[in-house]
Amino acid sequence: MAILIYIARRAVTMALTLLAISALVFFIIKLPPGDFLTNQIAELQAQGDPSAAAKAEFLRAQYALDRPVWEQYLIWMGLWSGPNGISGLLQGDWGWSFEFQRPVNEVVGGALALTLVVNLAVVVFVHLIAIPIAIYSATRQYSLGDYVATFIGYIGLATPNFLLALILLFYLNRWFGISIGGLMDPRYMNEPMSGAKMSSILSHLIAPVIVIGLSGTAAMIRRMRANLLDELQKQYTVTARAKGMRPLPALLKYPFRMALNPFVADIGNLLPHLVSGSVLVSLVLSLPTVGPVLLQSLKTQDQYLAGFILMFVAVLTVVGMLISDLLLATLDPRIRFGKRG
Amino acid sequence: MTNATGLRLAFCGLAWAMLATLTGAGPASAAGFGFQEAPMLAERVAKGELPPVVERLPRTPLIANFEERNRQIGRYGGDMRTLAARARDLRYQSVNAYTRLVGYDHKLRLTPDLVESFENEDNRVITLTLREGHRWSDGAPFTTADFRYYWEDIANNKDLSPSGPSEIYIVDGKQPKIDYLDERRIRYTWTAPNPRFLPALAMPQPLSTFAPGHYLKQFHAKYRDKAELAELAAKAKVRSWATLHNRMDAAYDNSNPDMPVLTAWQVVTPSPATRFVFERNPYFHRVDPEGRQLPYMDRILVDISSGSLFAAKSNAGEVDLMARGLSMNDVPVLKEGERMQGYKTLLWTLARGSAYALYPNLTTNDPVWRKLNRDVRYRRALSAGIDRRILNNALLFGLGTEGNNTIMPQSPLYQDNFRTGFAQYDPRLANELLDEIGLTNRDSSGFRRLPDGRTLEIIVEVDGESSDIIDALQLVTEFWRDIGIKLFVKPQERSILRQRSWAGQTVMVASGGLDNAVPVAQMPPTELAPVRQEHYSWPKWGQWFETQGRSGEEPDSVLPRRLVNLYKAWLRTSDAAESTRIWTEMLALNAEYQFTIGTVGGEMQPIVRAGTIRNIPDKGLYSWEPTALLGVYRVEEFWFDR
Repeated sequence: MAILIYIARRAVTMALTLLAISALVFFIIKLPPGDFLTNQIAELQAQGDPSAAAKAEFLRAQYALDRPVWEQYLIWMGLWSGPNGISGLLQGDWGWSFEFQRPVNEVVGGALALTLVVNLAVVVFVHLIAIPIAIYSATRQYSLGDYVATFIGYIGLATPNFLLALILLFYLNRWFGISIGGLMDPRYMNEPMSGAKMSSILSHLIAPVIVIGLSGTAAMIRRMRANLLDELQKQYTVTARAKGMRPLPALLKYPFRMALNPFVADIGNLLPHLVSGSVLVSLVLSLPTVGPVLLQSLKTQDQYLAGFILMFVAVLTVVGMLISDLLLATLDPRIRFGKRG
Repeated sequence: MTNATGLRLAFCGLAWAMLATLTGAGPASAAGFGFQEAPMLAERVAKGELPPVVERLPRTPLIANFEERNRQIGRYGGDMRTLAARARDLRYQSVNAYTRLVGYDHKLRLTPDLVESFENEDNRVITLTLREGHRWSDGAPFTTADFRYYWEDIANNKDLSPSGPSEIYIVDGKQPKIDYLDERRIRYTWTAPNPRFLPALAMPQPLSTFAPGHYLKQFHAKYRDKAELAELAAKAKVRSWATLHNRMDAAYDNSNPDMPVLTAWQVVTPSPATRFVFERNPYFHRVDPEGRQLPYMDRILVDISSGSLFAAKSNAGEVDLMARGLSMNDVPVLKEGERMQGYKTLLWTLARGSAYALYPNLTTNDPVWRKLNRDVRYRRALSAGIDRRILNNALLFGLGTEGNNTIMPQSPLYQDNFRTGFAQYDPRLANELLDEIGLTNRDSSGFRRLPDGRTLEIIVEVDGESSDIIDALQLVTEFWRDIGIKLFVKPQERSILRQRSWAGQTVMVASGGLDNAVPVAQMPPTELAPVRQEHYSWPKWGQWFETQGRSGEEPDSVLPRRLVNLYKAWLRTSDAAESTRIWTEMLALNAEYQFTIGTVGGEMQPIVRAGTIRNIPDKGLYSWEPTALLGVYRVEEFWFDR
């Protein structure tokens, strides 16, 4: 019962938070002078299309860009009557992308799936690499292996990943003939899925996964190692070992589980990261993910597209936080809801 | 002035076409003239999907002159790979494919292309004659009905073009009278000369004159039931039939694979995609000297990739022809991959007035700066304070041309003093000039002070993406320190920079020089007079001219007025000698009064081409206008020798 009340209370605060975020996002996007169409006009005029200004005037009225900002915001949210009647985020109409000349859901939809594929691969990579190394270096603190892992970890943290991306691309191409950038070799682009296409996609995932994952892996190794070291010195571990439990179960069953707590708490950050975590690298690697779309839309003030992506990330963050709070309570019975003092 | 070459060419073509029909045509022997087609199309003809090539070509196809340009007869086939940064950049394919009613040839002469011939009486009466039997890529005839559809149902339709036809059509506030003489001939008549009309047809983005009516009528409220259209619009998720029509009418953007075209290749991939395929147009109107229908290459493949990877991808041998998006900085990377991948990096001359130019804003809001920017001695001092030799060596490998922001020697209008006048490095002269103006007070670090006591610190605003210009400005900062002037570089988003300039908030802007640096007298001298607000030296005067005095500021001194008058005089004349005289005076005034401060010009445009591509010249001019990127070099005549 307590948990249901808790969830209901959280839902209300979440809705309020999202409302505040939506207003903030929209007004910040609108802060620079002009709008998407003013940029368009300038570009068209520079290319010698003199009727551009008039064309844009017409579009501006059609998309309500001639109204005051607060009205545009309410229209976008679906709280005010726009050129389409009341139709906005709340009604499930995500708006129109000027840059791509298509509805926002079509633009984001295609990129979203690929984004999830890339970032899920990264998450799996990070955990698969980081956890064993962290356990190793925690249980053998100050051994040679620990120093080597620490050293590589710090390099991973310190290297600018876009630079690493370019270097990896170049040598993967030189040595293994993997085409530069993108998610597959250009010749498979319009082909149906096949074994060869699949392997092309997998080989193109190598660079982004390593590049995006490296700093995450390094950070995770450090944190996991520190957590484990704390737990390893606690009495319950000593007791377990003293009672003759075999070393591996004694490690994985108790201290390791406790060391995972911070990572569960981290799920809230992980979820939005799945969508927006790789903007820079995607840009450098020319991956068809949400990242470059977001950057492009912000640069050209494609307000509904940028607004939607940012809102989507915000929703993921808020939902992720709730999930991690609920999970924590399930995992660790010491954590309880709503108790004070 | 009648166009004799066009007529003669047309006549030869006609004779050949008749010969071809008489002899039954078809794939004739390689030596003589006979119409032939690509194997790709021959298959479709054999299956009965397409009529034979003779029926597809106009009666008078355009026979390319290979001899004049030392081109070889090519072989059919091959896919040409290239890159674009985003789907919107597919429009540059229609620039490269350069198919216009009339277009420039490699010597920048206006020649008939889609039209068989054109007649021009004093730029007042212009008659275009289409080719008999010319067809759209879907096989429908291309006739004056397509011009009528554009003019009556698009340009003069209030829903599709709320502001009416382009202002290039308008002379003295009046639209031209258009006579559709017959299926093939159309005549535009103005009450006064309109010298901008013909050059506008040859622009990289041409003036719209026709549209495939037979296709577009299905989206037009005049020809279709309103309810049906509303349904179509709703299905395409747009708000009105007008938006739908405008979206489908995408000849320049290459965004609608269903739209019939007249260009050599037609896009066949619907958006969104990461690889766009362009396939040959079976009805294309040009043939090589032996009668092979062009283009030689079967397909163009455009891969969408981030611009930062263009050089790396070229280096890895992933393109066959690539120009736009590469720059001087990429040359080492491009050269490095040549041997391994077997491509070649050509260095063409980039036709721009100056690689880096400074634009003192004569209409800036701050009165102190405005007064100073308008003082010719100050502008000359700034120019004399720049050591162009060092800029050239440091940034352009010493290959550039030092001097003003002006036209290039390739233009028939060129004179040496346009480039060299008031552009010699002379810091002593610069200091004297600045002292003479009265800027003698110095601050504690030795910089001069403005008359109101502020340090003379010029904030030079620049597009943050032009890293080469920012590099150049770092050097200029050092040069100007010697004449007691402080320079602060402020990079920012291009659109914000434009807005600030239009609002008069900039004091000085750095950008590239003249866009069209190889003009002939028939091209409008728009960049040399205060008639456009985009020009960073006089945005408010430009606004005033563009809006006919509704906003901006009226030029209030002799020189800008003189420039505007010269521009107006150019618009009124149809005499070649008079146009040349006007151009010359404007160029001389621009050099003498340093309205823009040029530095180094003649930078190179790297072009990567696969080793097997033939017919692409080693040396050429590259520019937006007038060469339409690679357009005037006729990409459809390139072929793969493998």
